[in-house]
Amino acid sequence: MVTTLTFVLVHLAPGDPIAATLDRPGVTEAVRQQWRESFGLDRPLSEQYVRWVANAARGELGYSFSHHRPVRDVLADTLPRTMLLGGLALVLSFVLGVLVGVLQAERPGGARDRWLGRVLLLLYSVPDFWLALVALLVFAYRLPIFPAGGIVDPVMHDYLSVGGRIADRLSHLVLPVLTLTLLSAASIARYQRSALMEVLPSDWMRTALAKGLSARAAVRRHAVRNALLPTITLAGLWLPTLAAGAVFIEKVFSWPGMGLATVNAIGARDYPLVTAGVLAISVLVVAGALLADIAVAIVDPRVRLS
Amino acid sequence: MNQPTRPPRARLCWAPIVLAALVAAGCKGAEPNASATGEMGGTMVVAMPGDVGTLLPGLVVSMGDRELTDLLYDRLAEIGDDMNTLGDKGFTPRLAERWDWAPDSMSITFHLNPKARWHDGQPVRASDVRYSLNLIKDPAFGSPVAVYVTNVDSVSVRDSLTAVAWFKRHTPEEFYDLVYQVVIVPEHILGNTPAAQLKTADVGRRGIGSGRFRLARWEPGQRLEIVSDTGNYRGRAKLDRVVFVPSADFNAAVTRFFSGEADLFDQLRPENMAKLAGDTVRHALRYPNLQYATYAFNLVDPKQPSRPHPIFGERAVRRALTMAIDRVAMARNAFDTLGLPLHGPFPSSIAVADTTLPQIPYDTTAARALLDSAGWLAGPDGVRVKNGRRLAFGLMSPSSSASRHQYAVLLQAALRKVGADVRLEETDFATFVAKQNTHAFDTEISLFATDPSVSGFKQTWSTAGISKDGSNFTAYSSPVVDALLDSATTTFDPARTRAYARRAFETIIEDAPAVWLYQPPTVAGIARRIRTTNLRADEYWADMADWWIPADQRIARDRIGLQPLP
Amino acid sequence: MSARATRATSFGALLLARTWRDPRSRVASVVLALVALAALLAPLLTPYDPAAQLDIVRLRSLAPSLAHPFGTDPYSRDVLTRVLFGARVSLSIAFAAVALSISFGILVGVVAGYVGGMVDVVLMRLVDAALAIPRLLLIIAVVALWGSLSVASLTVLIAGVGWFTVSRLVRAETLVVRDRDYVVAARALGTSPWRHVLPNVVGPGIVNATLAVGNVILLEAGLSYLGIGVRPPTASWGSIIQDGAERVSDLWWLTVFPGLAIVVTVFACNALGDALRDALDPRQLPLSASEDLVHRP
Repeated sequence: MVTTLTFVLVHLAPGDPIAATLDRPGVTEAVRQQWRESFGLDRPLSEQYVRWVANAARGELGYSFSHHRPVRDVLADTLPRTMLLGGLALVLSFVLGVLVGVLQAERPGGARDRWLGRVLLLLYSVPDFWLALVALLVFAYRLPIFPAGGIVDPVMHDYLSVGGRIADRLSHLVLPVLTLTLLSAASIARYQRSALMEVLPSDWMRTALAKGLSARAAVRRHAVRNALLPTITLAGLWLPTLAAGAVFIEKVFSWPGMGLATVNAIGARDYPLVTAGVLAISVLVVAGALLADIAVAIVDPRVRLS
Repeated sequence: MNQPTRPPRARLCWAPIVLAALVAAGCKGAEPNASATGEMGGTMVVAMPGDVGTLLPGLVVSMGDRELTDLLYDRLAEIGDDMNTLGDKGFTPRLAERWDWAPDSMSITFHLNPKARWHDGQPVRASDVRYSLNLIKDPAFGSPVAVYVTNVDSVSVRDSLTAVAWFKRHTPEEFYDLVYQVVIVPEHILGNTPAAQLKTADVGRRGIGSGRFRLARWEPGQRLEIVSDTGNYRGRAKLDRVVFVPSADFNAAVTRFFSGEADLFDQLRPENMAKLAGDTVRHALRYPNLQYATYAFNLVDPKQPSRPHPIFGERAVRRALTMAIDRVAMARNAFDTLGLPLHGPFPSSIAVADTTLPQIPYDTTAARALLDSAGWLAGPDGVRVKNGRRLAFGLMSPSSSASRHQYAVLLQAALRKVGADVRLEETDFATFVAKQNTHAFDTEISLFATDPSVSGFKQTWSTAGISKDGSNFTAYSSPVVDALLDSATTTFDPARTRAYARRAFETIIEDAPAVWLYQPPTVAGIARRIRTTNLRADEYWADMADWWIPADQRIARDRIGLQPLP
Repeated sequence: MSARATRATSFGALLLARTWRDPRSRVASVVLALVALAALLAPLLTPYDPAAQLDIVRLRSLAPSLAHPFGTDPYSRDVLTRVLFGARVSLSIAFAAVALSISFGILVGVVAGYVGGMVDVVLMRLVDAALAIPRLLLIIAVVALWGSLSVASLTVLIAGVGWFTVSRLVRAETLVVRDRDYVVAARALGTSPWRHVLPNVVGPGIVNATLAVGNVILLEAGLSYLGIGVRPPTASWGSIIQDGAERVSDLWWLTVFPGLAIVVTVFACNALGDALRDALDPRQLPLSASEDLVHRP
């Protein structure tokens, strides 16, 4: 249903992608028509849709004429890059977020809790592209510690040793992942804290305290496990937001991932790529929710798949 | 063992690891390598905003792609620096080492250089020339330059090194039409695939040409690397390799350039100039171009193209609005001191340019008076009204162009001062082009990139160009101009061509179908260590194969040498 | 149970009292009030018109000075003026969009929860499907369809993609309340059950709304950064950043001042939202917390 919606939306947009690609004096209408035919764009909309669905089911996703490659290839290249970025950011922000949330909940209302809370709220209030721009400026432009974008050094990478190559890849990952992580971590930390706060007065918590555990140990051992559950579910739901947030990051850091490709494709009316991109995101969401459910089952002793 | 020179801005954090790696790489390249002496050698990294589209010359539409295909392939001959397109004056041999004109000039015999080879080793034959022309003319292939070679009838093969080109009529630009537009491609590589499939087929991405550079590898979205063709018939390119790195946008490309990752970025803006002021590693390189930008009025009604536009159909209104625009101040605002004024519908580097033509002056008082006398009187909110219609209209520009966006905002304010309410309509490029072609706009800022010939003007300013095949977006139609342009393109006397063109331009300027805004300044940022040659007006990269780096100024990546990938 | 119904009327007063005790909310409210005041009084606070290009050659891109405390932009417009008037635009878009989306979301949520059955299933499937697509891409796609939008259309569009989470939230609440005694009694008596459902919804609704205002301000800034927000020469905080987006290092004042305005306002919104939520009922956290997270662009 999602894909139908997108397909209709994108195709309704005014603007002829072929005309845009062939904007030069002297290009005749006949030439443009020939291009349209070779990409199948002159058939009625309904026919195009049916053909697209049939092909998609077979794994054949069409040809992206803004990238001049089959869509499958474009997705195969860009999707892993976005997932690398997003996956790393998700894991790191999760770890960081839970950690900070726990630190806060140990002594609610205490100085550490309040100050961490303010910092997190500040981070949470910052526009992501702004943070990315500032990071790029400071760490790549003014103080050239990290490279200005891309995945690897365009020239030297293949001529470096194995260690050099790893270092190269890592140095290109730092800024984008860091920016994505900070913002997500802020949200997750806030959420983890409130989840923990909810759990604190509960029965088994009092039981744990009665058993003689110190407050801090009790929080850490039992509360975290229970409060982890909704956070894990959240992490699963976070995936589409991550993909969208990645758009800004990818744009600022020239990271050739799927978010950037899809946004550019919408502007270029590259219908096959847009619909395939949205399909990919939808699949990711479902997968994310599934993974979250599985993770919950693992972590929660009360819930076991029979 | 040579210690590689560190790039001026060292990467602090990863320095130890990367340095070790560089040392290792440097050690590999320090073996006596014939290509590393003298002027040969070096690596240049080019930052491109956007990515590579196609490597097939006949299908190229963007300047970036054009640069690449020009480096990988050859033409029969190259145009001279004076951009002359009449006859063959100034053209220098490439794949054709010489040529003979038939006495009636209806055919030209080209003798190919026997040493010319394709990058896969096969010799370049006359049949390749024939194939290249037929491919471009083939409607199934869909080449955007097909319309430029309509006068070339065919190419026949006399023997493997002799090709004869036949023309339908004897025109002043027939040599230019064939030689400039038809880049020679290998039949034995491409010929086995039906023309209609070449757009998407894999074989069209191999970039096998006869140029002094050949394609080493292409990773879409990441880099495209070309290396020197060591066995080339004109000698190898002096640089070992050129790496093109696509960037998500302008900002990213500029950052790459200033951080040292890239050596060349050819679209610097005025605000970057200050940064280059004290820079010891890189500097600005101004290069000519054949572009010009206009603020164009739509002379027909967008809803009913058979009727004149309710506002801009009147010449007086157009002239009045033109007088409200301070082109000099706007150019100063947008381009600082780099801006070049525009004197008419032509770039100043073209052969028939004339910068002395009379212009409509900037005079807001006269503008208001003219609008008053045309019946457009100021309403209560300052916006003029005539017959119940407000002087309110749209201004269309593509969101992809920052300078056009800048001008759009400036124009909006300037026109407001004389009582016009302008609504900015920034659209994506695809929609912009579609609306241009169908005359579905009120006003727009259009940027033209012309080719050196005179006949291009007919596309933009003659009545025939109003159809979807041409580029006459303003729908300007003047029988006088039509006749003058026809004469300009059929006379064989360069002086008469210039005279006819001048009179045509004068008439167009008088009729004010557009405001001649600016010639975009094209400034490249380039590393100082790279020595360039003469920069041609239509393509600054034309002689890139002769650019070189002095041995004593080379940095780490220059020393990689021509070794194959590890 | 009926205690809850009678508390409905004094609910608002109680909420306010509890919130006010929290120092966070006091500071945040003051900040927000100041921002709103600045926005309202904008014409009085500056002599310039936000679209006035003062002198396109001599007064462009000036660094902050006494004459122009926030500097001028490349079109020689005074940036302080634009930030003040931009507050009007950014805030009005945020408030209007949130009001619209919350109202619509409540409507849909109540209908889905109350009526149940097929209607519920269909509505929630639609919501689920729409939630799968990142808000940003959805908006970009629509803007690509209609070209650049007026402020009003932009507001409606943002509202249009923001009501999903509210509806889910409200539906859950409605389900809880629907089967309670007093509601069943009300239905049997023929009186409208809305009186009982709505108050329970208002609480989390307010929290969600406050946080949403902050999120919409961020969303609008992001859209303007991508170039698809408000049209020139209208100033919104996001569009001012966009004007200077490609010259961030040179014209830092175009990024810093509106950016700070955004951060301060959104920070206040978030702080107030947090305080409201804590004052409301700590046990209601899981639902509203997750909703506010998913509401981000």
